[in-house]
Amino acid sequence: MQRAKVLFERSLSALTPFLAVLLALAVGAIMLFALKVDPITAYGALIEGAFGSPFALAQVLVKATPLLLVGLGICIAFRGGVINIGGEGQIIVGALATAAFTLALPQAPAIVLLVGGMLCGMLAGGIWGGIAGALKARFGVNEILTTIMMNAIAAQLANFLLRGPMIDPIEVKNGTMLAQSARLPELSWLPKLVPQTLLHAGAIVAVIMAVVVYILLWRTVLGYRIRAVGLNAEAARFAGIRVPVYQALALLLSGVMAGLAGSVEVLGVSHRMMDGVSGGYGFSGIVAALFGKLHPLGAIPASALFGSLLVGADKMQRAVQVPSALIDALNGLVVLFVVSSDILVRRRAQRRKAAERKS
Amino acid sequence: MKLNRIGAGALLAVGLLLAACGTPTPAPAAPAATAKPAAKQVKVAVVMPSASNDGAFSQSMYDALKAVQASMGGEAAMKIAVSEGMVQVPNAVAAIRDYAQQGYDLVIAHGTQYGNSLTEIAKDFPNTAFAWGTATDTFAAAGVKNVFAYNPRAQEGGYVLGVLAAKMSKSGVIGVCGPVEAGDAKTYVDGFKKGVMDTKKDAKINVTYTGSFSDVSLMAAAAETHTKAGADILTGSSQSVVGAIGVAKDKKAIWFGTQANQTSLAPDTVGASQVYDWTGVIKEMLDLSAKGTKGGKAFELSLQSGGLKIVYNDKVSIPADAKAAADAAIKGIIDGTIKPLP
Repeated sequence: MQRAKVLFERSLSALTPFLAVLLALAVGAIMLFALKVDPITAYGALIEGAFGSPFALAQVLVKATPLLLVGLGICIAFRGGVINIGGEGQIIVGALATAAFTLALPQAPAIVLLVGGMLCGMLAGGIWGGIAGALKARFGVNEILTTIMMNAIAAQLANFLLRGPMIDPIEVKNGTMLAQSARLPELSWLPKLVPQTLLHAGAIVAVIMAVVVYILLWRTVLGYRIRAVGLNAEAARFAGIRVPVYQALALLLSGVMAGLAGSVEVLGVSHRMMDGVSGGYGFSGIVAALFGKLHPLGAIPASALFGSLLVGADKMQRAVQVPSALIDALNGLVVLFVVSSDILVRRRAQRRKAAERKS
Repeated sequence: MKLNRIGAGALLAVGLLLAACGTPTPAPAAPAATAKPAAKQVKVAVVMPSASNDGAFSQSMYDALKAVQASMGGEAAMKIAVSEGMVQVPNAVAAIRDYAQQGYDLVIAHGTQYGNSLTEIAKDFPNTAFAWGTATDTFAAAGVKNVFAYNPRAQEGGYVLGVLAAKMSKSGVIGVCGPVEAGDAKTYVDGFKKGVMDTKKDAKINVTYTGSFSDVSLMAAAAETHTKAGADILTGSSQSVVGAIGVAKDKKAIWFGTQANQTSLAPDTVGASQVYDWTGVIKEMLDLSAKGTKGGKAFELSLQSGGLKIVYNDKVSIPADAKAAADAAIKGIIDGTIKPLP
C-alpha cells in the first residue's frame, strides 16, 4: 500500500509539468477564442510546426540546445542552493568571447577555433557567474540581484563592443551600421548535422555536457558538496564544508554552462556575434530545468519539449495569423504554470513529510 | 526545506517577471487567413521585426500589402501571411524558410538584419522570389538571382518636413529623436537637419540617438529632454517613437512623423508624416516574378516615383507660407535643384 502511494506521488510529481503545460494551453485557448481563432486549428498548427517535418524537428533541436545548456547551469546552481538569473548576461559574454577569439585567429585550424572558442565562452560565462558567486561568498550579497544586474552590464558591454571595436567593417563601409561582428571564419563553424537546416553539432555537445554535469553532481566530491550545501547549508557547515565557497562555485559553474550556450549559438547558428544573441534563453532555460525536475538528464527531454513549444508557437502565428503578442503571452503562461506547479508539488511533499512525522 | 521554499519563491518571481516582460506592444487581431485558394491566387509572405500596427516601419509594409490585396480583388486573388515581432534573426530565418517551403510566390524579409541569412536561404529556393529591405544590395555579386532589394530615400521627406519645422517653430529649437545612426533613420535625420538649416540658419537642432530601434521608454526620455531644452517641434524615426509622440502630446509640441502615417497615434499633435508607400514596389515585384524574373532589381522609393508621400493632418493647422515652402522643396527635390543630403 505504502509503495503504491509512493509510486503514485512520484508519477504525479513527474507529470505535473505536463499538466501545467496543458492548463496553460487551455487558458491560451480562451485568448484564441477572444481573437475569433479556432483553438484546435491553432494548436494543430503548433504541433505541426514543432513535429510536422524534418525541418521542424531540426529547428526544435536548434532551440533545445541553448535551453539545455542554460538549464544544466540552473540545475547546478539550484542543487547548490543558489539561484542564477544571470543566464542572459552569461550567454552574451560567452558569445562575445567566442567571437573575439575566432576572429582574432582566422588562420587557425578548425579544432583550435572550435575548442578554443568554446573554452573562451565557458571562461567568460564562468567569470560572469563567478563575480556574483564571489560577492555572495565574501559579502553575502543576494545572488538574485547581482546576477540580474550583471545581465544589464553584459548587454551594455555587447552594445558598446558591437557598435565600436567589434563592429563588422562591412557595416561601417556600407553605412548600415548594424550592431554585429564580422562573420566568423568558416572553419570555426560547428558542422551541420542535417543539410539545409540549422541543426548543428552543438546539440551533441549539449547532450554530452548533460552527462558530464550528472557525473559531476552525483559522482564527484565537488558535486556531493555542492548538493550537500543545497540540501542543508547548516548541516553541511557542521560537516566541515565551506558553504560560501561551494555556493560561489555553483554559481561559477552555472555561468560556465550559460557561457557555453553563447559559444554554441555563435559557432552553430548565427556565425557572428549580433544583438539579441541571448534570445531569452537565459530565462527560458530556467523553465526547461524546472521541466526536467532540476536533474541534468531530465533536462534533455525537457528542453526538447520546451524548444518544441517555442518553435510550434512561431508556426502557429504564421498559420492562423495571430498577433505576436499572443505568442509571447502563451509562452509566459507556460512559464507561470510550470513554475507554479513546481511550488505546488513541493508544498505537497512538505505536507506529506510533516504528516509522516506526526504519525 | 527553507532553502527550497526560498528558491521556489524566487523562481516564481522570475516566472512572473517573464510573463510580464513577454508581452510587448499589443497588436490587434490580424484578420484570420481564411481565403479560399483560388486558381491564380498569389501568395505573399512578410517577416518583420515589430508589430504590424507599430505606426512605423512594419506598418508601412503591412498597409501597402493590404492596399495591393484590395486592388487585386481581395483575399481570393492575393493571400498575405504575416510573421511579426521577429526580433531574433534565427526565428525570422525559420519563418522565411517555412514560407519558401510552403510555396509562397514572394517572401519579404522586412528588416536589414535579415540580409545575411537571406543569401543562404535564397540559394536553397531558386524558384521563389525574395525581397529584402531596407537595402540596396540584391546579392547579385554573390551569385544570387532571386532577391529584390528596396530602399526609401528617407532624406527627401526628411528635408521637406525639416522645412515645415523651421517655418513653424516659434522657439527656434527643434528636437530630433533618432534610434540607431544607420539606414533610413540616419538619412531621414540628415535630410531633416538640412531642411531646417536651409530654411532657418539660426535655428537650433538637438539630435539624440537612443541606440535602439525598439526602446520606447528611452525614446520618450529623449523627447522629454528635447522639450525641456525648449523644443516646440519634435521628430524621430523607428517603431519606438510612440513614446516620444506621447511626450510631444503632453507638452503641446508638434510632431513630424516618418515611415507610416502617424496621425492616428496623436491626432492633435502630428503635423505631417512622410509615408513609405510600398504598393508600387510590391506590384512591380509581383509582376516581374510572374514573368519569371525572381530578383536582381533594387527599388528606391522617392518623391518623384510617388513612393514617398507627405501626408498632412487637417487637425493641426499649418500656415500657408510653411505649406508653400514645403511644396517648393518637394518640387526642388524632384527637379534636382535641391540636394536633400549634405
